[in-house]
Amino acid sequence: MKEFSIIGKDVPRTDAIVKARGAAAYTDDMKLPGMLHGRILRSPLPHALIKNIDTSKAASLPGVKCVVTAEDTPKIKYGNWRLFPETQDEYPLAIDKVRFIGDEVAAVAAIDKDIAEEALELIDVEYEELPAVFDVDIAMKSEAPVLHDYCPTNISVNRKIKYGDVEKGFAESDYVREDTFTVHGVSHAYLEPCSALAQVDLDGRITIWTSTQVPYIVQCLLASTLGMRENDIRVIKPFVGGGFGGKMELRTWEFCAALMAKRTGRPVKFTLSREEEFLAGRRRHPMKLHSKIGFKKDGTIVAKDLKIQLDGGAYNAMGPTATFLCGNFGAMLYRYPNYRFHGQHIYTNKPPASAMRGFGAPQSLYATEIQMNIAAEDLGIDPIDIRLKNAQVSGDKIPDVATISSCGFVESIQRVAEMSGWKEKRNSLKLGQGIGIGCYSFISGGVFNWFNTQYPFSAAEVRVFSDGTAHLLTMAADIGQGSDTVLKQILAEELGLTMEDIRMTSADTAMTPQGDLGSWGSRVTLMAGNAVVNAAKKIKEELFGAVSAHHNLNVIHEIECKNGRVQAKTRPDYGLSFGEAVALVQKANRGEPLVARGSYTPRGKGLVTPAFGFGAQVAEVEVDKETGLVKVKEMWTAHDCGTVINPRSVEGQLAGSIQMGLGYALSEQFVMDGGKTLNANFADYKMPTAMDMPLSHVTHVDTYENEGPMGAKECGEGLASPTAPAISDAVYHATGYRCKDLPITPEKILEHVEKTEDVGLESRKTLHCDLEPEPYKIG
Amino acid sequence: MRLPKFEYFTPKTLNEALALLKEQGEGAYIMAGGTDIVVKMLHGRLRPKSVIALQEIDGINKISFSPQEGLTIGATARIVNILSHPDILQYYPALTDAVKVMANIEVRNMGTVVGNLCNAAPSADTAPPLITMGSVVVLTSLEGERRLSLDEFFKGPGITAMNQGEIMTSVFVPLPQPRSGGSYKRISARCGVDIAPASAGTMAVFRDEICSDVKLVLGAVAPIPLRAYRTENLLRGKQWTHELIQDAGYEAAEESMPISDCRASAEWRKKMVAVLTRRTLVEAYERSKKN
Amino acid sequence: MKHRINFKVNGDEYSLAVEPWKTLNEALREDLNLTGTKLGCGTGDCGACTVIVDGKSVSSCLTLAVSVDGKSVTTVEGLAPSGDELHPIQEAFVKTGAIQCGFCTAGMEMAALHLLNHNPSPNEAEIRAGLSGHLCRCTGYSQIVEAISVAAETMKNSQSEEEEQ
Ligand SMILES: Cc1cc2nc3c(=O)[nH]c(=O)nc-3n(C[C@H](O)[C@H](O)[C@H](O)COP(=O)(O)OP(=O)(O)OC[C@H]3O[C@@H](n4cnc5c(N)ncnc54)[C@H](O)[C@@H]3O)c2cc1C
Ligand code: FES
Ligand code: FES
Repeated sequence: MKEFSIIGKDVPRTDAIVKARGAAAYTDDMKLPGMLHGRILRSPLPHALIKNIDTSKAASLPGVKCVVTAEDTPKIKYGNWRLFPETQDEYPLAIDKVRFIGDEVAAVAAIDKDIAEEALELIDVEYEELPAVFDVDIAMKSEAPVLHDYCPTNISVNRKIKYGDVEKGFAESDYVREDTFTVHGVSHAYLEPCSALAQVDLDGRITIWTSTQVPYIVQCLLASTLGMRENDIRVIKPFVGGGFGGKMELRTWEFCAALMAKRTGRPVKFTLSREEEFLAGRRRHPMKLHSKIGFKKDGTIVAKDLKIQLDGGAYNAMGPTATFLCGNFGAMLYRYPNYRFHGQHIYTNKPPASAMRGFGAPQSLYATEIQMNIAAEDLGIDPIDIRLKNAQVSGDKIPDVATISSCGFVESIQRVAEMSGWKEKRNSLKLGQGIGIGCYSFISGGVFNWFNTQYPFSAAEVRVFSDGTAHLLTMAADIGQGSDTVLKQILAEELGLTMEDIRMTSADTAMTPQGDLGSWGSRVTLMAGNAVVNAAKKIKEELFGAVSAHHNLNVIHEIECKNGRVQAKTRPDYGLSFGEAVALVQKANRGEPLVARGSYTPRGKGLVTPAFGFGAQVAEVEVDKETGLVKVKEMWTAHDCGTVINPRSVEGQLAGSIQMGLGYALSEQFVMDGGKTLNANFADYKMPTAMDMPLSHVTHVDTYENEGPMGAKECGEGLASPTAPAISDAVYHATGYRCKDLPITPEKILEHVEKTEDVGLESRKTLHCDLEPEPYKIG
Repeated sequence: MRLPKFEYFTPKTLNEALALLKEQGEGAYIMAGGTDIVVKMLHGRLRPKSVIALQEIDGINKISFSPQEGLTIGATARIVNILSHPDILQYYPALTDAVKVMANIEVRNMGTVVGNLCNAAPSADTAPPLITMGSVVVLTSLEGERRLSLDEFFKGPGITAMNQGEIMTSVFVPLPQPRSGGSYKRISARCGVDIAPASAGTMAVFRDEICSDVKLVLGAVAPIPLRAYRTENLLRGKQWTHELIQDAGYEAAEESMPISDCRASAEWRKKMVAVLTRRTLVEAYERSKKN
Repeated sequence: MKHRINFKVNGDEYSLAVEPWKTLNEALREDLNLTGTKLGCGTGDCGACTVIVDGKSVSSCLTLAVSVDGKSVTTVEGLAPSGDELHPIQEAFVKTGAIQCGFCTAGMEMAALHLLNHNPSPNEAEIRAGLSGHLCRCTGYSQIVEAISVAAETMKNSQSEEEEQ
């Protein structure tokens, strides 16, 4: 273990105090003189031709300043996969056709919100309804309604991976198992609804404040859809109230705010309602997963064949990445000598699915993990042991994907088994109580350049001053995960400064160095962190030179930045204060400020990621056999995220992931009737509350990732995966119900319990049951 | 998701409120805590012409109890005040059961019991226990006052026996009979705020081990909070046994008329009715021992 | 159509003319520029908009602005006793890492204030129940629960110090 002074410490977040005071301004908190309020008109139909749009009544309503439809736009398609323009299938406002309930058709901007709302009702849209399709199996049939003319099969992405010889592998297996799993869509449910505020600057350029995870992507795509140049657009990310993948594309309101600001010359703000977020917002991909896996008698995996159909909804959004990643995650965790994957991304007339925390992993690994448990049982091996037998270790190669560098997976499994008292509980728990395991692996940022950025993946600029302070500039977007704090910590560590010594500017595309692909794929700590380290190293070189010259140091001395000083490592008295050292460099350069640029782009790291996080989780549940309600009592997690830079932040990420995983497993789902979302509010979209959370215990497994800054890698998303399989396995242990179609609802459990007891409502009359009032979940 | 336009009145006396209600006629709505009516307006399900707020009317926010007369809950008495009322906990624990699980702290600080009844949601949590307790509502209009058994108050989802021009000024809950016990329970998919997909309220009176009288009301499984008469008949006058309780659960499930919606399927709701019926009966019996 | 309302917010007197369909949330955020109070759902389901009206926590998104005439409102901006001091609840939220994206924070802090005013030493279950109407997508609530118990301790200690003096 390396010794650090700020890394690994519970440094409070740099933004905590302003947030605690309510002084942090999020996009909707901002107001500009003359600002107009925008609203979007959405399609009430899942699939229809737009025959005519009459906006005249709306436009003549007093107070309405602008109404736009696709006709008022340059009609340029966009999408995050710029590298493959054919995947870019979305227009900011629908042209000729709407493809889901909530599809954006028109927008109004008015002097107040009431008028904007009223104007929406005055827009007449004449639709011709088309047959719609909501199910992937039907959508793939030849006679199915076609959503996009360019894609007559409705299959917009096909991704295949193959290595080894799967058929031979199955032939050599002693035990082969095939299962089909279906997993459902869930909402990011970030607390801050999306919002964007645009204004036209003096020179006709646009500044937009927006609730986004990807300022740079918004800048580029906004420029292209408006027919402007990238440098004409300045994207500023104010405080953002969570994203989880749901704010990582250019979205219609950003486009409309900019367009309407241009047309009216006045600032325009759009803020979505929660209902819009639920009806039309992005979501986690529902998927069908068909997995075939072969084992040797002793539990060694021989081959795996995975087929996944992703229900993409009406547009690609981040679906292509999801399709790729599902295949990659399908080959993670365990050693698969023979592996085959076929992923298909399919259009349906539903709100588009996109990136969401874990991005393909929660779905893919749900199938992996449940199937491991089924196999373990069939082969008579403990689920822990079968995992240990197959677990990936450092140095393992996944063809075409990556070589695993640091890896604390085996230790994670062992530790979580110990912590949870696995062996004992697995044998001693009563019926109705259960314990189960789920594991994960996740990427620390993506390598594949689908956005086709022309810049480094992450960049940082460090300016240092003779008053002993530094200014860190980076485009990395803190959306609540705390990356500003972590990046500051990294710089403070490198330069031997305190957190207070560092000023930070982040996520402003006109002010911070190009570029940064944004906050997703758990990439920020590793990539932006490396960029910061890289810039800091350059600064240090200069400072070391100055100190060396000043003290006439022997060239063999190592010099360090520590405690606000730049000094010889073994002779700290040979040194200068940080500020003095900066002043010397500056003097030597005739006043030129000391500034350095750093960047990071993963190279030679395969196709997926420079580093993987790993972990294992155990859940203990209690199931009420009469109601089917599941109470998750306790969870244990052991994980490997490399060096822990900020323990409280890491624990916060973990606890947040458990909440999301718990909801994914048990209570959250979009209840859909065809293309219509029936539960578009937090009353009926059941996110776990503080009262639903289990007791949780965590251990960080120590590893050092050479590719990461100070040895760190990911911790933000991987943990979104293990919770659902762990709970599911525990429910199986408690009741015998093996869930292959998430979520695990009380109805499904009861149905199983009744089937296995072979008694229906009729005969339950005589069945003895426990009449003790159940204390939990029933008021 | 924006409120529609309406006129707003804050009468200072009940008479003023009644006069306004008459004058405004159709399209005028009473507002107590606003936690239902405002939500409905936000969702575009209600566009009132005018809203008459009761909050400034003196004398109708009281909760009064005496061991001789029973309990009266005024129109603007907040749910939170029911929750913290020691006499209610002692004499009407099933009502405390209900308000304890209702909504969340903020909504309980704003909302009222009378509003919960007048809103007439099939899932209204206070309705089952109050019906089983034999509550009577007091409806006041310019013509005078009438009393109606709460049992006869609900006519459909959002529909009540209240006439145009009437305000519910209070709900009266008689004293519980000796050797009686009440219980209210609901099912929910999460512990925090939830609108229950099924609930049950029970009030049973015992003579020795015989159930001499009983009322059972099921929530969220019919267009109104549903009196389960058949189940009551099955229980009344019977020896208290496990089998009887099991049968009652089964009968109640049969008697319920749930629908499938985004909260739960009809089938599961029926099963929950059976479970809740049994569990409330068991608790009611336990509680009866203390009375 | 507009109604004149006079009310106190964080101790300051305000007089506003509001339309009856304006919520307290809008009045605070848009008319008074007190944007610390958030709007997460607008229908009473998330708790982000919680403020204290006459000593009771309420959802400002369901409260009509006209209805607070003559009342006293406390928002997150009114928690801290002064510009550079924090309220013990805020202090604890900062220290324990209870704040990630911060969008739920104001509501959580106001719920904590209401809870601790009514129950100065809540146990963990009581804290969790006190937050039952408050959603957070980032923290999994654990550090928030911890923050509130830390705040309870500090508030109790300063209370008893005051009493001793
Ligand atoms: C987040 C949230 C969670 C909720 N959870 C629950 C829950 O768990 N269980 C539950 O049962 N309810 C729940 N509710 C619904 C609501 O809070 C309750 O029904 C509450 O008791 C309503 O009281 P109120 O005073 O706010 O009613 P209001 O909204 O003021 O009024 C409700 C209706 O009754 C009418 N009305 C009110 N008072 C009178 C009167 N005196 N005379 C004539 N008509 C009158 C009004 O015109 C209106 O139609 C929830 C609401 C929210 C926002
Ligand atoms: S915004 Fe008021 S409760 Fe969500
Ligand atoms: S901190 Fe983000 S919602 Fe709570």
